[in-house]
Amino acid sequence: MASIQDIFKIASNDKLCPRFYRMQIDAPSIVKKILPGQFIHIRVSQGLEPFFRRPFSVYRAQKYVEIFYEPVGPGTKLMAKMNKGDTIDVLGPLGQPFALPPKGTKQVVMIAGGIGIAPFLILSDCLKKKKYDLILLYGGRTGGHVYPMKEFKDNGVKVLVATDDGSKGTKGRVIQLFSKVKMDPGTTFLYTCGPNPMMAAVQHFAGEHHLRGQAACEEVMACALGACLGCSIKTKSGYKTVCYDGPVFDLQEVIFH
Amino acid sequence: MVSDQKSRRLETGDWRLATNKMMNLSINIGTVKFANPVTVASGTFGHAEKYYNLEEVKKLGAIVPKTVTLPAQQGNPPVRIVETPSGMLNAIGIENPGADGFIQQKLPGFKKIGVPLIISVLGHTDDQFRQLAEKFNAVDGISALELNLSCPNLGHQVLVAQDPQATFRVVSLVKKIMNIPVIAKLSPDVTDITLTAKAAEEAGADAISLINTFTAMVIDVETRRSKLGNFTGGLSGPAIRPIAVRMVHQVYKTVKIPIIGMGGIMTAQDALQFIIAGATMVAIGTANFINPRAPLEVLNGIKEYMQRKKINDIQELIGTLNSPVIR
Repeated sequence: MASIQDIFKIASNDKLCPRFYRMQIDAPSIVKKILPGQFIHIRVSQGLEPFFRRPFSVYRAQKYVEIFYEPVGPGTKLMAKMNKGDTIDVLGPLGQPFALPPKGTKQVVMIAGGIGIAPFLILSDCLKKKKYDLILLYGGRTGGHVYPMKEFKDNGVKVLVATDDGSKGTKGRVIQLFSKVKMDPGTTFLYTCGPNPMMAAVQHFAGEHHLRGQAACEEVMACALGACLGCSIKTKSGYKTVCYDGPVFDLQEVIFH
Repeated sequence: MVSDQKSRRLETGDWRLATNKMMNLSINIGTVKFANPVTVASGTFGHAEKYYNLEEVKKLGAIVPKTVTLPAQQGNPPVRIVETPSGMLNAIGIENPGADGFIQQKLPGFKKIGVPLIISVLGHTDDQFRQLAEKFNAVDGISALELNLSCPNLGHQVLVAQDPQATFRVVSLVKKIMNIPVIAKLSPDVTDITLTAKAAEEAGADAISLINTFTAMVIDVETRRSKLGNFTGGLSGPAIRPIAVRMVHQVYKTVKIPIIGMGGIMTAQDALQFIIAGATMVAIGTANFINPRAPLEVLNGIKEYMQRKKINDIQELIGTLNSPVIR
């Protein structure tokens, strides 16, 4: 009964770097409507295992809807085995998108951890025409979690990388990259997506430096339609659903654990 | 050609049988008639207009919104859900805007859909059940009141529906107030489901809903913690379906009032099991999270089955379980 549920064909499903895959789905109706920060909810099995659908931020929406994933759990491992031409049951587009940077913004800093990089390519696709200085600070666990970033660079994004083991870029967490970028509170806007401890660190840094921004959050979801209230997170104005009220929230609004 | 005609008939919703007689899917709960036996289980159905096709939602027999409590409740701390083999645990904790908030903010939107509404309520005390009954009795446009006597996620030591005397007491006091049918939703976490079913019937309940979820747990062995913020949650989904079918049948043999059967219904075949076991109405719950089209697919599948079996009236199917063939 959801008007946004449909069956689509997979256009491609490839490994982009040692750890991450990209799936392209031929879903013109979603491409037309989707905005940066929104997500799609995929039924990865027609059977009962795994039971829940899986939510994915949209990575790019040009000819196809593209998602970016790491095969780590039972759902994403099944997805990695899917082939071009297979059909897939998709709900979307869902959730609240990123807001445009406020007036006066000259510099946009996107801060991503791991798979949290996903919503930032589509965001940079949309922002590149608007003459902002676009910067991506990316933190990955290992060099295997870093891919060439060509698409970001083609969008004019300055990319800085940190890895926990130092195998690529600066050794350490993404937070170590903050000192390499001058951020003026009046003209800088932040977007962040990644593990909660990382976003908590971004929130803390932003609070101390009076920087405004938005965070795209993640939580286990069942319905993704705002019905089950299963994906609620704590915010300064009570529990909010990631699927319907989010996934994008004001950076200072979310209470990270 | 024949199959073409058949499929066209399915699409247009023309359910005339070969004999040209219309198929009757309507059922009654108390004095209220519902156009067909398919509804949704409380807490599983949203109706956000931007996501739902309301023309499709209108085809349901009834809608049951999420349970309403007297004061607003913020719900349980996350994590609130976890998937399990063929099912899930939830510990939402009845997050809701309270009776007044629901009546003001949510009820108008539900009424606008134009499908009969069954309102699910939960009181933490007898007095709260009385106040909830009075509030909803004073509201127009509601077809029935369902008493959630069986939510496992609220820290109650004993659920109303685990105690036949408490079940009798709560149903009786609500029945004295309501002018519309009253439905008692029972818990499967009991030794003998027929005792609470009987108590509800004797107290005057117009129907029984069963089953609610089973109290359950999933442990993260790395952290040795429960995966849910509330420690335990309610198990639902196909994992519980065979138990639910058994309980519906047991209750069907015990009481004379109609049963709204639920518990892991994903398909029409699943729903038909409940109807044959004795359910007058069936509710789609957890399936809404996996396949939002499930309630309509169930309704269409029931129609197809009746057509195939040349059954004119759903009443001819309810509680028609045959004895097993002994080999």
